[in-house]
Amino acid sequence: MRLELVTHTTDIEAMIATAVLTTTSKSKPSSLFRRLKKDPERVANILGRIEVQHGSVLDHNRLCWRMEATDTEVLEVLLRHRFFSFTRLDGSDWLLSSNLRTAIRYVQENEGDPFSEALIGSIPRSLMAILDEIGGKVR
Amino acid sequence: MASGHGLKEADLLQHLSFTFAVEGISRACSHQLVRHRLASFSQKSQRYVEVRRLGEHVVVPKTVEERAEKTFGEFIEALGGFYDRMMESGVPTEDARFILPNATETSLLVTMDGRALYHFFGLRCCNRAQWEIRAVADGMLSAVRALEPDLFRGAGPYCFQLGYCPEGRFTCGRMKEVAEKYRPPNEGEAL
Repeated sequence: MRLELVTHTTDIEAMIATAVLTTTSKSKPSSLFRRLKKDPERVANILGRIEVQHGSVLDHNRLCWRMEATDTEVLEVLLRHRFFSFTRLDGSDWLLSSNLRTAIRYVQENEGDPFSEALIGSIPRSLMAILDEIGGKVR
Repeated sequence: MASGHGLKEADLLQHLSFTFAVEGISRACSHQLVRHRLASFSQKSQRYVEVRRLGEHVVVPKTVEERAEKTFGEFIEALGGFYDRMMESGVPTEDARFILPNATETSLLVTMDGRALYHFFGLRCCNRAQWEIRAVADGMLSAVRALEPDLFRGAGPYCFQLGYCPEGRFTCGRMKEVAEKYRPPNEGEAL
């Protein structure tokens, strides 16, 4: 199995912080996002004190990978988490995508499995920090 | 990538994600929006955010404005006063909100993939959709067409996507007019 992150939505951290404040503040999400995009310190602060026990604020993004895997390996992933989307490009060449919440859940629930390891290896360090920060609290 | 692998663009739409800030809609409208399950939402909470000065934070339908503006306004004012009094007497925000009306304004983030968006537009840009969510859907369609004109050229109500109206006997009967409305700019009239 080989996994390579092809692309992901931009400003993921700022969007997570926007989602948090959208639910709990009077401000509108568009102005929150505009402000937070320019304020990484505040974003880090919000991410650091997320208390919610559900991960819906991690839903507003998408990561997209290219994967080389057998049909069985793909089936294994889908049976463990149905929120991954797969498109077969050719034979054992796949395009797959999910949001950060799905990826984090997969890693949490399937420690040590090859896809889990590949996911961790493929996610940029900045996003891994989110996993370290709040991953343990996500349900 | 699509053409190189013999894939249709539709196969790849599910990998694209779009996040919208929807603001100033009624809770009546957001109730319809959140019924789309292949989507993610973060909505302003009435447990955490108090609704002070309710009269300034309601959506008033045009028909109400035309035919019942005064009664509606008085009722909202009374509700707002009651809400404020409950809050002052120590009723928790999460309980005081039980009297807030469907007209109460809300804001939310909604994220959908491209395929879910096509379905959403199919249903909610339709003339049979309720006016407020239709306006939201039209706004979202304009936004994604501005970003990805080629990918969303064919998006719109189902009659526009399919070439026939799937609403059966409920059809609005104005398919030609609808096709004209959703025809992307710079494209000739459909035959």
